Amino acid sequence: MDISALVLADSRYPGGGHVHSGGLEEAVSRGLVRGERELPGFLLGRLRTAGELAAVFAAAAALLPTDWAGLDAELDARTPSPAQRTASRAQGRGTMRAGVRAWPSPVLDALLSAVPRPHHPITLGALTGVAGGSPADAAAVAGYLAVSGPASAAVRLLGLDPFAVNAMVADLSAELRTQATRAAATAALPAADLPAPGSPGLDLLAEAHARHHKEEVRLFAS
Amino acid sequence: MRARARLVVEAVGPRSVIRVLESAAPLTLLPRRGTRGAAVVHLVNSAAAPLGGDHLTLSVEVAPGAALRLVGVAATVALPGTGRSATHLRLTIGDGASFEHLPEPTVVTRHADHHATLTAELTGTARLRLRETLVLGRKSEAPGHLTTETHITHDARPLLRQSLTTGDPATDQSLAGLAGHKVLTTEISVGTPPPPAPVSGDWWSLVPLGPATAPRGYLATALGPDAVTASARLGAALAAATG
Repeated sequence: MDISALVLADSRYPGGGHVHSGGLEEAVSRGLVRGERELPGFLLGRLRTAGELAAVFAAAAALLPTDWAGLDAELDARTPSPAQRTASRAQGRGTMRAGVRAWPSPVLDALLSAVPRPHHPITLGALTGVAGGSPADAAAVAGYLAVSGPASAAVRLLGLDPFAVNAMVADLSAELRTQATRAAATAALPAADLPAPGSPGLDLLAEAHARHHKEEVRLFAS
Repeated sequence: MRARARLVVEAVGPRSVIRVLESAAPLTLLPRRGTRGAAVVHLVNSAAAPLGGDHLTLSVEVAPGAALRLVGVAATVALPGTGRSATHLRLTIGDGASFEHLPEPTVVTRHADHHATLTAELTGTARLRLRETLVLGRKSEAPGHLTTETHITHDARPLLRQSLTTGDPATDQSLAGLAGHKVLTTEISVGTPPPPAPVSGDWWSLVPLGPATAPRGYLATALGPDAVTASARLGAALAAATG
């Protein structure tokens, strides 16, 4: 795995990912996730839905296509929830801000001139690709961040044992590996033909979170 | 069984006229006579279908300015057969044309292994209203495998692309997937202005469809433990659209 993937997946990467819970805060506030028992199912489901979509687009972006606006529009069409789009673009922007300093490249300049606020998976893919990583590297980072963020949010929201939660994330290794391979296999497809796994439950939680966020104080932006 | 049915509707003055009506068993198309304005066609399954191994395609073209309402069909997806079954509904909706299809729920029975694809290509001011209700198994029945794929484009740009797979407990039960609900219902409306901001409640939402700067319609989504609850939640979402 390319070192850039480690840098991007590091929780110390200054991309602002720590303010997003990936729907977990809403699930916790509604009593749908109460503790260690429910968390593995939440993480696995998230990985297979939103995580799969993120992996697919990160892998495609790692091939550094020229039509960034087209790739962005295709991901938008697969992200019907405005709250999910906002969260993705917010994380993309934060990740890109740190990324252009780390791996400056005319490719990133072209991306940002076509799409000023790129989606998170496309940002991860573009940065990995520019740094010399592969589509599988980018997919692994996107898939990993799709679960590591909510996992660390769970520690903060529910006061769970960090060792236990960390073990849950490690338990997803095989799943993450096959997902990255699968996403790399579709990376070169025309953007319109890329897989479009939906996540209806997460979308509804994201919309509810956005609504509650305006009404009461929340710890996480999403 | 492989079958391809085809339907073409054109506008003649204020009326919509059926130009092509090609049924292909088990897809039988029955026009309703004496309708004003929009053409109305009933889609009837003339055999038990889809059976495993079936590949059924229905192509519908609504020419510019024409209107069509496709009625039916109550579908119980995929009875056991040889292999995977597939259905494909292909819609082409021209500028100023409209198409409406509000079929009965699709029940994903235990032995289902079915792939349902919908592609809709819209042009200009085309209007589309489409409802889909998935019921995961009959009462106390585990659902089979169903993959639905929805591809809607407007002036060759992507509006909505979503696929959903049922039959994997890890996603059926997960909060990310169907959150343990048995019924998922959605309504897509294109060519209707959405409310200024997304609207949501517990397990339902109504969101604008298309680019945030130029929405083209809305998508209403509801999950429920049963069809009645899901339908009531969808109703709450749609009420927000009509405001």
